[in-house]
Amino acid sequence: MNRQLLPIAFILTQLALVAQGLDPALLTRPPTDAWPTHNGDYSGRRFSTLSRINQSNVKHMQLAWVYRAVAGNTPGSTVGGEGAEVPESGIAAAASGPGSTTIKSTPLMVNGILYFTMPDNVWAVDARSGRQLWHYFWKTRGGIHIGNRGVGMYGNWLYFETPDDYLVSLDARTGRERWHIEIADVKQEYFSTPAPIIIGTHVMVGTGGDSLDVPGFLESRDPETGALQWKWWSEPLKKGDPGSQTWPDDYAMRHGGGMTWLPGTYDPELHLYYIGTGNPNPVETGRSRKGDNLWTCSIVALNVDTGKLVWYFQSSPHDTHDWDAAQTPVLIDGEFNRQPRKMLAQANRNGYLFLLDRTNGKNLATSPMIETMNWSLGIDAKGQPIPNPAKEATIDGVLVSPNSGGATNWPSPSFDPETGLFYVTTSETFSVFYLTDTDPHPEGYGAVQRGVGSYGGTLRAIDYKTGKTVWLHHYPSGAGAAGILTTAGKLLFTGDSSQHLIAYDPANGKILWHAGLGANVSNGPETYVLDERQYLVVGAGDSLYAFTVEE
Amino acid sequence: MAVALALFTAMQLNAQAPPAGRGGGFTGRGYPVYDPAAVDRGQKAFVSACGFCHGANAKGGESGPDLLRSVLVLDDDNGERIGPVILNGRADKGMPKFAFSQAQISDIAAFLHNGIRAASLHGVYPIIDIVTGDPKAGQAYFNGVGKCNSCHSVAGDLKGIGSKYDPVTLQGRFLMPRTAGLGGLETAGRAAAQIMVKVSVPSGQSFQGSLQHLDDFNVALIDSSGEYHSFARQGDTPLVETHDPLQAHLDMLRKYTDADMHNLTAYLVTLK
Repeated sequence: MNRQLLPIAFILTQLALVAQGLDPALLTRPPTDAWPTHNGDYSGRRFSTLSRINQSNVKHMQLAWVYRAVAGNTPGSTVGGEGAEVPESGIAAAASGPGSTTIKSTPLMVNGILYFTMPDNVWAVDARSGRQLWHYFWKTRGGIHIGNRGVGMYGNWLYFETPDDYLVSLDARTGRERWHIEIADVKQEYFSTPAPIIIGTHVMVGTGGDSLDVPGFLESRDPETGALQWKWWSEPLKKGDPGSQTWPDDYAMRHGGGMTWLPGTYDPELHLYYIGTGNPNPVETGRSRKGDNLWTCSIVALNVDTGKLVWYFQSSPHDTHDWDAAQTPVLIDGEFNRQPRKMLAQANRNGYLFLLDRTNGKNLATSPMIETMNWSLGIDAKGQPIPNPAKEATIDGVLVSPNSGGATNWPSPSFDPETGLFYVTTSETFSVFYLTDTDPHPEGYGAVQRGVGSYGGTLRAIDYKTGKTVWLHHYPSGAGAAGILTTAGKLLFTGDSSQHLIAYDPANGKILWHAGLGANVSNGPETYVLDERQYLVVGAGDSLYAFTVEE
Repeated sequence: MAVALALFTAMQLNAQAPPAGRGGGFTGRGYPVYDPAAVDRGQKAFVSACGFCHGANAKGGESGPDLLRSVLVLDDDNGERIGPVILNGRADKGMPKFAFSQAQISDIAAFLHNGIRAASLHGVYPIIDIVTGDPKAGQAYFNGVGKCNSCHSVAGDLKGIGSKYDPVTLQGRFLMPRTAGLGGLETAGRAAAQIMVKVSVPSGQSFQGSLQHLDDFNVALIDSSGEYHSFARQGDTPLVETHDPLQAHLDMLRKYTDADMHNLTAYLVTLK
């Protein structure tokens, strides 16, 4: 009897463990019945192997539920934070900002529950029904409320970052706070937006900053205690250190920017974390920071255990147009020149698509994505663009394409291994950059930009091997700010700027299905299977929409 | 309309930085607006007592650090952290004491915080001077390579344009009139700038008017009688043809050199 019971008890224990939290093994294989990390898996390719929803039945896709997320101190919320008290049903006065009530986060889906955020707010929602389980509200001290990319999960614990620069850990079962830790000083205008990425027992925490010329960094923290494990700075710390030859002096380095404001990607075999760094400061004039300004506007590979820099590739040496390299470094395993390679592709804000060997950072290809680009003198031997100094802001203005928002920005791209195509949404814009601060040591932006025109926005399918656009879809009224998802159902999902969620054929760009929502798609679409049914979930404004096909 | 929509959408994408253009800009520090008189008094006190070491603009000088990027100053609200440093000095760093009153310290704090605020509000930095070009070269461009005179006349629609707008506004209007905003235009000018559309349905009937909306699934217009029409789109059905009277301005963005832009500005401001 005992012999028979033991295995059953063992199985029950195992089931209980799985039901209790996130099984870390989920993170290392393509997600099907879960979406356990920001990009679905560590690769950043946002490709799902699911095909229950496919080209033959997508036209029958229909709404399963809508969940409208009300931010603020709503009745029944768990409340934390260091800021002033907030009246019930109110939001903090300090929480103004364009992204306060927009879902830019990609929800995690673990064990049938969705976890997602807006700045200062976290929700748990039943992934089958859209019913709220709990809501956590953070009383902010301030900080720029531009957006929040979501949560990270380790076992039963959730992690998110706040505009006033705290890392907060919650119990996923209840939404109760475990602890919070200050990671940066909001008074120096740091503001934190990334979704933490969990790798083993490391919580990867980045931050953002804007006009007060502060240095960027990435931290690894202990998932149980929040204790700092290591901290990597986006600039060398003092003259003489590697990379410091690309800066004129210590002062410029210590005020050099390089924010880590989007989540990175991870190769478990190489044990490297890949992240793109932000623009240098002062943002739009380089007079006081002559040199390439490492490691700003760079893709860097860091050892996960030590935070040591293993390699870097700089996408915009000496940037003066706010073209950070924070965009997702997408990991591609495929062929290049008929050799199997471990690669990394990034569609960069500066208008180029970069393809690197991710074992060593060596450039394989650099290709312009937009036709209007006018700031570069070409590509150097290392595959890096050569900025045209004549296109740096002057007092009387220079006309530059793309604008500072870039050819592309934070909305997630996708790589589909079945088509071999890299998908990205671009904008073809022009701005005039005027130098406004003529001091030898300018501060903040140092220049002002005026948008003067746009050819609109385009969904592009690019052959990563050649950099050639294989097909494109030009949006009649410009691109939205939606991410992209591709699936083995031979479908590509994204949104336009007229509140539509759209399914395309990833092979040729043909539109197969669409639905009108209450706002533009504002996050990256995701998909998962529950109870033998595939769902497509997307955030648009303040609401999550779940679609499915009745089988 | 459609192009304007496209632009605003593109601007919203500017994720890390606030939207492009003038008049934008926000900050998370929640800066108050400092009393200009206090800022002025604070500046005078600062320049005479502190400027020698910290620079007249407080950005650092021969021996003193940049105070606009000082963590102590950033953590201060109204002199409560700056005051003790002023009153006690920093003997270890060679900074003497200064016997300022609390009111003077508050003024100096207002001056420093106002300087931080000014650098932070990057959406509204003032443009210094854009009239640097050669008006003669601008005139030659207007009548030559630029082909501006194929639609415009300096004796007609552009008469006195240099008196009507300041140079920054004027430059914005010729770079992309729709982006610069059509609010200042008279009704006829606004109507002339509208994107027109012709929608031809399979029956052979067609509808024309000003474009109200266009995406991959819908098109809408208002016809000459003021009637609103909207149509569902599927691929090329119905056939949609648009005409943007400002298309030439958009296309010029890919042709101007920066010198063309400066010269044309210098010429147009002379049209008083």
